[in-house]
Amino acid sequence: MHLLEVNNVTKRFGGITALKNVSLYIDSGEKIAIIGPNGSGKTTLFNVINGVYIPEDGRIIYMGRDITKLSAHERAKLGIARAFQITRPFPGLSVRENVMIGALFGTLSEKINTREALKIADEMLKLVGLYNKRDELAIKLTGPERKLLELARALAMKPKILLLDEIVAGMPPAKVDEIVDLVKNVAERENIAVGVMVEHVIRAVIRFAERVYVLDRGEIVLSGKVEDVMRNPKLREIYLGTRFKGGV
Amino acid sequence: MIKGKIIDHTSLIIMIFSYIIIWMLKTSFPEYSQMLTLLLYYIAIAQAYNIFLGMTGYVDFGYVSYFGLGLYGMALGVSYASQNNLSSSEAIILGMILSVILAGSVAGVVGGIALRLRGAFFAIATIGLSQALRYLIEGAKIWGGAEGIIIAKDLRKLFGEEGFSYATIILPDTGIFILAVATGIIMYLIRISRLGYGLLAIKEDEDAAKVFGVNTTLYKFVAFIISAVLTSLVGSMWTLKVTAIYPPESFNITFSVEFIVIVMLGGGGTVLGPLIGASIYSLSKYYLGVYLPGLQLTVFSIILLLIVLLFRQGIVGELRSFLYKHEIVRKIIR
Ligand SMILES: Nc1ncnc2c1ncn2[C@@H]1O[C@H](COP(=O)(O)OP(=O)(O)O)[C@@H](O)[C@H]1O
Ligand SMILES: [Mg+2]
Repeated sequence: MHLLEVNNVTKRFGGITALKNVSLYIDSGEKIAIIGPNGSGKTTLFNVINGVYIPEDGRIIYMGRDITKLSAHERAKLGIARAFQITRPFPGLSVRENVMIGALFGTLSEKINTREALKIADEMLKLVGLYNKRDELAIKLTGPERKLLELARALAMKPKILLLDEIVAGMPPAKVDEIVDLVKNVAERENIAVGVMVEHVIRAVIRFAERVYVLDRGEIVLSGKVEDVMRNPKLREIYLGTRFKGGV
Repeated sequence: MIKGKIIDHTSLIIMIFSYIIIWMLKTSFPEYSQMLTLLLYYIAIAQAYNIFLGMTGYVDFGYVSYFGLGLYGMALGVSYASQNNLSSSEAIILGMILSVILAGSVAGVVGGIALRLRGAFFAIATIGLSQALRYLIEGAKIWGGAEGIIIAKDLRKLFGEEGFSYATIILPDTGIFILAVATGIIMYLIRISRLGYGLLAIKEDEDAAKVFGVNTTLYKFVAFIISAVLTSLVGSMWTLKVTAIYPPESFNITFSVEFIVIVMLGGGGTVLGPLIGASIYSLSKYYLGVYLPGLQLTVFSIILLLIVLLFRQGIVGELRSFLYKHEIVRKIIR
C-alpha cells in the first residue's frame, strides 16, 4: 500500500483545467520531485492533496483512507504538512510562536502541551538555522528566512509527508545544497516522505528525489526514475518555448 | 496550568494588582465610587470581548445582545424567584443561570451560522441582531414587552428593606469586580494555551491556520461562546444595579461600538489591553461629559480613526511590537 495515492484527479477553476486526470503516488519515506513550467498546476496539486481545494473528480487516498473531502485541518493532524510557495508566516507572532503552532496542531497535537511544543519549536529552529531569530516577529524576516520558517513550521508538525512548494526558489546554489541536505537528513531520520515542487530543473533538487513526475498544462506527461526522465528528449520540448531558465 | 517562572506571568500579576487597586480606590474614595465601578464594568466586558474580538480579529456588532440577554436573564430570575417565594440567593443564582442559558444559546445559533462568514461579512451579518432582539421583545410582548422589567419591588421582597442597598450596590459591585478578575484570568489562560495559539493563528491568517491543523470553525465557536457567556454575567450584575431594564437600552448597538473601541484602543488579544483601553475610554468619557458635553461623539470618532490609521494593534499591542526585542518587555507587556 502506498502512503499517498492521487487517482485521476481533475481540478478546474472556471474555464481553466488546472489538473487533468492526474495520478501519482508516494511511498512512506520516499522522496519525489514534481517539476513543470510555471502555471502547469504544481501548487494546485498540493492544494488538493492537503485540502485547500476539493477536486471535481478523482480520489485522494492516504494510508488506505479516502481523504478527498476531508478538511485541511484534519489532514494536517493525519500527517500531511506543507510549506507554501508564497510564504505565509503569522506576521504578528514571533518566529518561535509560528513554529510552536505547527507543533501544537500537527500530528502530536493533543499529546503535547505548549511547553513541549516550545521545545520542539526550538529544535526545529536550530535545525534550519533560525534559532537566533526566534524572538523576532515573523514579519521582520527576509524572504529566504521566511522560506526557512515555512520549513521549520512544517517539520514541527512531525508529518508523515512533507510537501515543499518552491522551497529553494531564488536561493543561491550553495544555499540550495544546504537546504536539500537538511531536508534529506531530517526526512531520513524521521521517515518522512517528501514531495518537492520546482519550476526550474534544479539539479540538486532533482537528484535529491528518487522519482520524478513532470507536469505540463495540468497533465502528468512524464514520470519515472530521475536519470530516465532527465534523458528523455520530451523534457526539453516541454521546457523549450516556455520560461526555461534552469539547466538540465 | 500555570507553570514556569513567576516572571513569565508578570502581565497576569500586573493585571490582577491593577484591578485590586481600582477596587481599593473605589472603597476608599466614595466620591469616585460610581466612576470606578463603571471602569470595572468596562474592564470586565472588554476582557470578555477580547477573548473573541481580540483573539480572532472578528468584529461583532451584535455583541451588546449578550450583555442585554444577561440583563434580562437576571431580571427574569429575580421576578420568578419573588413570585415563587424563593430565597434571595436562589434568586441570584437562578438569574445568573438564566443569563448564561439565554446568551449561550443565542450565541450558539448566531455563531453556528455567522461564523461561517469571513471578516467584514461576519461583521455585517451581526449588525441586525440587537435590533432584532429588541423588536422581538417589544413586538411579541414577551418579557414585559416595551414596558421592560422593573425588579426593585422584587428585590425589596427578596432581600428585605434593609438588604436593598446590599442587593443593588454591594452585591453587584462585588460581582462585577470578581467577574473582571475572573475574566482577566480566563483570558490569560486562553492566551497561553493551545486554544489561544489557535485563535491567534486564525487572526493572523485563517487559511494558513487550517493548513497547519487548526480546526478554525470549532475554535472560533468556542471563543465566541465563552466571550458571550462572560459578558452576559456582567449584564446579570448590572441589572441588580439599575433595577429596571428596557429593550432599547438593553440592545443598543452604540454599546457594541463602545466595547469595540475599548478593546481596539487597548490592544486586541493582549492581556493588559482591556485595562488600558477601558481606563482611557471611561475616564475621557466621564470628563468629556463634564467639560465638552456634546463633543463626546466627535472625540470618539477621532480616537477610532487614529486607532485604525496609526496604531492598529492598539496601545498595548503597538508598544509590545515596538519593544519586542527586549525579553523583559515581552513578559511584562502582553
Ligand atoms: N485560485 C485560483 N483561481 C483561478 N485559477 C487558478 C487558481 N489557482 C491556480 N489557478 C490556475 O491554475 C493553473 C495552475 O496554477 P498553479 O497550480 O499555481 O501552477 P504552478 O504552481 O505549477 O505554477 C494556472 O493557470 C493558474 O492560473
Ligand atoms: Mg506554484
